[in-house]
Amino acid sequence: MLRHARQSVGIRPITTGSPLSRPILAARRDHRPLPASPGRRTIPTRHHSSSSSSSVNPSEVSHFTALASTWWDPHGPSRILHLMNPLRHDFITRCLASSSSSSSSSSRTPPPLRYLDVGCGGGIFAESAARLPTTSSVIAIDPTPSILAVARSHARRDPSLSSKLEYLDATIETLPASDEKYQNFDVVSCFEVVEHVDNPAAFLERCGQRVRPGGWLVLSTIARTWTSWLTTNFVAEDLLGIVPKGTHDWDKYINEDELRAFFGKREGWGVPVVVGVVYVPGLGWKEVKGSEKVGNYFFGVQRVG
Amino acid sequence: MESIARRRAVAYVCRSCSRQGLRLQRQARRAYSGTATRDDIYDVVCVGGGPAGLSLLTALRANPTTSHLRVALVEAQDLSKIRSWKLPPNQFSNRCSSLTPSSVLFLDQIGAWSHLEQDRVQPYHEMQVWDGVSGARIEFDWGPNPNPSTGTTIAYMNENLNLTSGLLKRLEELGGVSVFDSARVEHIGFGEQTDELDLREWPTVHLAGGKQLLARLLVGADGANSPVRSFAGIEAKGWDYGRHGVVATLELEGEGWGGDQMKVAYQRFLPTGPVAMLPLPGNHATLVWSTTPENAALLKSLPAEDFISLVNSAFRLSPTDLDFLHTQSSGQAEEYKWRLEHTPFDRQSVPQTVVGVQTGTVASFPLKLRHADTYIGERVALVGDAAHTIHPLAGQGLNQGQGDVQSLVKTIDYAVSHGQDLGTRMSLEPYLSERYTANHVLLGVCDKLHKLYSVGSGPLVPLRSLGLNLVNSLTPLKSFFMNQAAGNGVKI
Ligand SMILES: Cc1cc2nc3c(=O)[nH]c(=O)nc-3n(C[C@H](O)[C@H](O)[C@H](O)COP(=O)(O)OP(=O)(O)OC[C@H]3O[C@@H](n4cnc5c(N)ncnc54)[C@H](O)[C@@H]3O)c2cc1C
Repeated sequence: MLRHARQSVGIRPITTGSPLSRPILAARRDHRPLPASPGRRTIPTRHHSSSSSSSVNPSEVSHFTALASTWWDPHGPSRILHLMNPLRHDFITRCLASSSSSSSSSSRTPPPLRYLDVGCGGGIFAESAARLPTTSSVIAIDPTPSILAVARSHARRDPSLSSKLEYLDATIETLPASDEKYQNFDVVSCFEVVEHVDNPAAFLERCGQRVRPGGWLVLSTIARTWTSWLTTNFVAEDLLGIVPKGTHDWDKYINEDELRAFFGKREGWGVPVVVGVVYVPGLGWKEVKGSEKVGNYFFGVQRVG
Repeated sequence: MESIARRRAVAYVCRSCSRQGLRLQRQARRAYSGTATRDDIYDVVCVGGGPAGLSLLTALRANPTTSHLRVALVEAQDLSKIRSWKLPPNQFSNRCSSLTPSSVLFLDQIGAWSHLEQDRVQPYHEMQVWDGVSGARIEFDWGPNPNPSTGTTIAYMNENLNLTSGLLKRLEELGGVSVFDSARVEHIGFGEQTDELDLREWPTVHLAGGKQLLARLLVGADGANSPVRSFAGIEAKGWDYGRHGVVATLELEGEGWGGDQMKVAYQRFLPTGPVAMLPLPGNHATLVWSTTPENAALLKSLPAEDFISLVNSAFRLSPTDLDFLHTQSSGQAEEYKWRLEHTPFDRQSVPQTVVGVQTGTVASFPLKLRHADTYIGERVALVGDAAHTIHPLAGQGLNQGQGDVQSLVKTIDYAVSHGQDLGTRMSLEPYLSERYTANHVLLGVCDKLHKLYSVGSGPLVPLRSLGLNLVNSLTPLKSFFMNQAAGNGVKI
């Protein structure tokens, strides 16, 4: 469940130049599907025999290892993610504001929040969440050691983070379930992750288990459509080369109606909040109504039970 | 990226330190690498407690989103003297600035405006601008359609010290700023790497006496010769005008032709530069005369009576007569009296006669145009005169600084509320894009005006008088200029 560096729409002249391991690239390109029918399907639950119960795909791990060195370069291949990060907070703020009135009454200042960031990558979101005065702690996990090393080393540059932010080399499956420290989070986030896991249904199920009743599971991903295949795989990776090749596997993209159906079938989840966003060159990321059907979108769902 | 940041940043060492020679400097550098404690780490360190720096800190403290930040101020002057600044009601400091309604609105929003001595602030409602060579004239007033937000006020004349003193009072009320005043910045370098922290990209300000401050964001509000700008390796380009600005506090024969309720600002373009008389409370006014360094030296050397006559001449006599008066080392009072009788003019279209000059207020300073190549670097931002120095003819220098501060605080607010590191260049980008072009256009317009009006004869003179007369007869164009002067016009 790796994430980040998947600049989705990204029609933007960025220099990439990040070295990629060739074999993986070749393999991926062979497997890249033609956009046959972006029709509705259920979220796959297939298992990857080699990775036991893990949702992590080993080739994804190597891909992101190659990106580690440029993660925090604001003009490097991850720029588009840096630019998107503030919108993640706007989205979470919107979700929290729409919370069905449970424990915290709106009259007083709400208690500080505990975050679990799954697939934290170099820590763009995790650091920012930890900096917010409304946050008490952030636990951020990722299975790619080289990227976690980047995240840890970058966090040392900000003295305000050490008391609030903790990185763990873990997946959602290996994070101890018995330990109270890793349970009952106010916000569990997995940004740009589900399109990189082999078994998104199991993955989301496990993430959901870490959310406290009343808390939120928030994620962002890209819809599986002709447009997204064209912009992310073909234009961004092949034609313009502004997104490192091998970042996207179009076949793994999940549409928002599929996510809606997934949580609709399960007990204890509220009505999802969905916001589509579009990258407009020169303006940055903009919220665009309806765009969740064709490209990048945020998805948030409250655990009510 | 790291290496680029390091290459661009050159350590700043103050002049007196560098004069002490290399050996001492090396010792000093060793001394600098003393250990910083957590107490020395700030979110914002502002060097410079002039109008820009003080507003910045006040705005950060007054804003609920940014009020939890750890902030520090470093200022070379003794701020307690400025805080307790007081003059009798019939005396005024010679450093006055015209504050636009949008600057005043901002100062009010951050709770500072009410801390200024209000009876020392003079709103004005009309501007008279004319060409000394051709006589073409433009009158600015709001007429029957005043600006809804500001009424009929074009701008407010105010002593800079009234502003800085008021800001300091407001800051004291807000509290929470670590103030290091009467403190010279000796050196600016970078932090260090320890087991738990890596502060090698954090600017570190070293003060005389060994104190050091580490900054998530180092703000240069340190004036035209900004040490912070040199540290960041940011160049300021521009030129000197070969002109000096002569300032003085004047006493007039009355409260002005329109009385106390209808004050007028006057500006006449002379071939040597514009001369302006701006209203202060009662029968006082402040003079800003840009002229050649030789003329400025003469003005400063004259006895009061001759100085007054030369100022009166500047608004009444022909440029040729004025040139002649400047060749005399004394006796301007007599010459003026005689020449005035032979110069026809409409008394009410020039300022009332100057009858006195406040002792010790005649001063001059060189005029220059400077614009920094950028306002931001990694963990560095420049505001006010540190970022740009403008020709004073538009009276916009201080207001541009207030606009910078307003924009920078908005940028910091956004970064804080979205968990961004407020010092990174990426977080600061909105400030740069919002302010740079706006300031550049204003610098350019004022520079062009200066050059256009510095010509005494030739084809430009009838053209520019045509321009002034045309503008005067075109209401939409006029209100555009008025809105610019009032700082609430089209955002350019
Ligand atoms: C002599 C003079 C006369 C002027 N007259 C007019 C006028 O009549 N009308 C008008 O509109 N504008 C005038 N201006 C311009 C106007 O004053 C400026 O635009 C305005 O003051 C800019 O504010 P600031 O806060 O950016 O910088 P400044 O007011 O220059 O403040 C910079 C501050 O930084 C401090 N500082 C600098 N270096 C260090 C250091 N190494 N360590 C610690 N502190 C340091 C200084 O002590 C100072 O307090 C004048 C400028 C000058 C120099």
